[in-house]
Amino acid sequence: MSESMNKQNAVSNVIYKASLFLDEHRWDDWLNLCHEDFYYAIKAFSPEINYDMIYMDGNREEMRTITDMLPKHNSDNSPLARHTVVYTVEMDESQDTATAVSSFAVYKTELDGINSHALAGESNIFLVGKYRDKFGFENGEPFFMERIVQLDTRRLDKGSHFPI
Amino acid sequence: MPARNAKQWDKIPGKIESGEYVDSRIYSDRNIFEEEISKIFKKVWTPVCHESELSEPYSFRTMTVAREPVMVVRGADNQIRAFLNVCPHRGNMIENRPSGSFEQGSPSGAPKHMTCMFHAWQFDMKGNCVHISRGSEGYQDRLECSDVGLRRLRCEVKYGGFVWVTLNDAIDQTVEEWAGGAFDCMEKSLNAEPLEVFHYHKAIIPCNYKLWHDTNSEFYHDYLHYHNRITGFNDSYFARKNIGFDNGHVNVGSFEVQYDQYEGFESREELSFPHLPNNHWEMIDFFPGVNFNLRGSALRCDIMTPLGPDKVMIEFRGLGLKSDTPEERLIRQRHHNSIWGPFGRNLHEDLLAVSTQQATMSEFADKRRILHGRHEVDADGDPTIHDEEGMRHFYDAWGRWMDRWPGDPELSFEEGQKREAA
Repeated sequence: MSESMNKQNAVSNVIYKASLFLDEHRWDDWLNLCHEDFYYAIKAFSPEINYDMIYMDGNREEMRTITDMLPKHNSDNSPLARHTVVYTVEMDESQDTATAVSSFAVYKTELDGINSHALAGESNIFLVGKYRDKFGFENGEPFFMERIVQLDTRRLDKGSHFPI
Repeated sequence: MPARNAKQWDKIPGKIESGEYVDSRIYSDRNIFEEEISKIFKKVWTPVCHESELSEPYSFRTMTVAREPVMVVRGADNQIRAFLNVCPHRGNMIENRPSGSFEQGSPSGAPKHMTCMFHAWQFDMKGNCVHISRGSEGYQDRLECSDVGLRRLRCEVKYGGFVWVTLNDAIDQTVEEWAGGAFDCMEKSLNAEPLEVFHYHKAIIPCNYKLWHDTNSEFYHDYLHYHNRITGFNDSYFARKNIGFDNGHVNVGSFEVQYDQYEGFESREELSFPHLPNNHWEMIDFFPGVNFNLRGSALRCDIMTPLGPDKVMIEFRGLGLKSDTPEERLIRQRHHNSIWGPFGRNLHEDLLAVSTQQATMSEFADKRRILHGRHEVDADGDPTIHDEEGMRHFYDAWGRWMDRWPGDPELSFEEGQKREAA
């Protein structure tokens, strides 16, 4: 297998690994897949106001601060789990960086968000969109340089405290 | 006091008085909800969008007010007008998109016209019908364009460029008169220079619209928000005043927020709204379901569209200055969304709380008293931040509009007042 294909496979693997870490709220493990200059943003285009919006953003340390603060906040703790499919991984000519586009659907399985007696256990789609990721490599292993979460879903109801 | 049995639970607790609680049925009863739509929401002024959402001639926005489809358009003369978004022919919705422009033609119609796609009747930007397809062939001289203009709605652009609409042609107050002075606290900031919407998202929440308005009106719930406790709880916070205005509106007075006390947050000083002291925070709870929240560098506006006794759509807008540089806009956007965005620290907590609050008040559940009896006044006797005067003021206006006593909605307002006096 060529070096390029090896790296492409490694990129796919790290996207799936990140999905599992996010599902399991393993925030530090997720951020440890990211370079110290990592940038994260959740974006959406609003046809109502004809505007590209940034709902949440931060570098790696800012995201770590946000996730470290979670225990101080009241949150809907209904698990969010995602189904991610890597669509494309493209290496640059030098093979030093890569970009990837993945599609995701995040499912919420109700736990404590409204009335747990009636609703706990019910799963619904919470969000759909695409991950647009950029990667660097160290010793052949990819690390996230950037993740743009481009949401299609814009009716977000209660929203969430958790990175997507 | 041990936990109470059914009889004790049903008694008015402590020395709480009539007028210091509401009956939970006002949040769940379908008949009361329908009455609210007809007696209140069809009668009052409400903001429906911001003028920056209609940036060019022929641009439009669509929305719903009290179940009626509404369309707001900017004419070739730059005037903003509002109409029912209903074709006078067969009742079809004329425009289905949330926003756009009539400058280009549509598959059924000509440029610069509103066209109903169904039978291609066309209207100009002033709502005049200008074309009936095969009109004379079908209607001879029995019906002409002049007979079938759109239903125009009263419309004003006011308070920082918000577009206000009412379904009530007979309303005897302008928006300014209806506001009754509630905007005095932030009008100078809103009108200093043109504003622009940079954030929009909507939420459909399983709660009565009044529970969201209550939550915006009472700050006692800052115990819900770690952010507010850490950046706020000090003497100047507890001195903020609750000021009631005519027509049920309330202003919550300002203080200086210590944003840098929350790890990862920064002062809003650099991008303060004009005329707003650095890091200050003014708030208007506007009857019956609107909130304006000016926090340092960003303005938030919530517009509620009640969908049912236990369902409300809330549209959240964030606004900055139209003159912002791209860099300033990014900072302003982050300031707004880190607290109030769909992934922000506070909004999620508020929406979570009202959802679980409504879960105890489902339709036909046992009625119970929902208290708003806190009185915390300053040395002058004025209600302060944790006084629940804001909700009492709202429900006084609500009771008069509905002719129902909020503490017992089976009583008329007058009967309730007599009971209170007794």
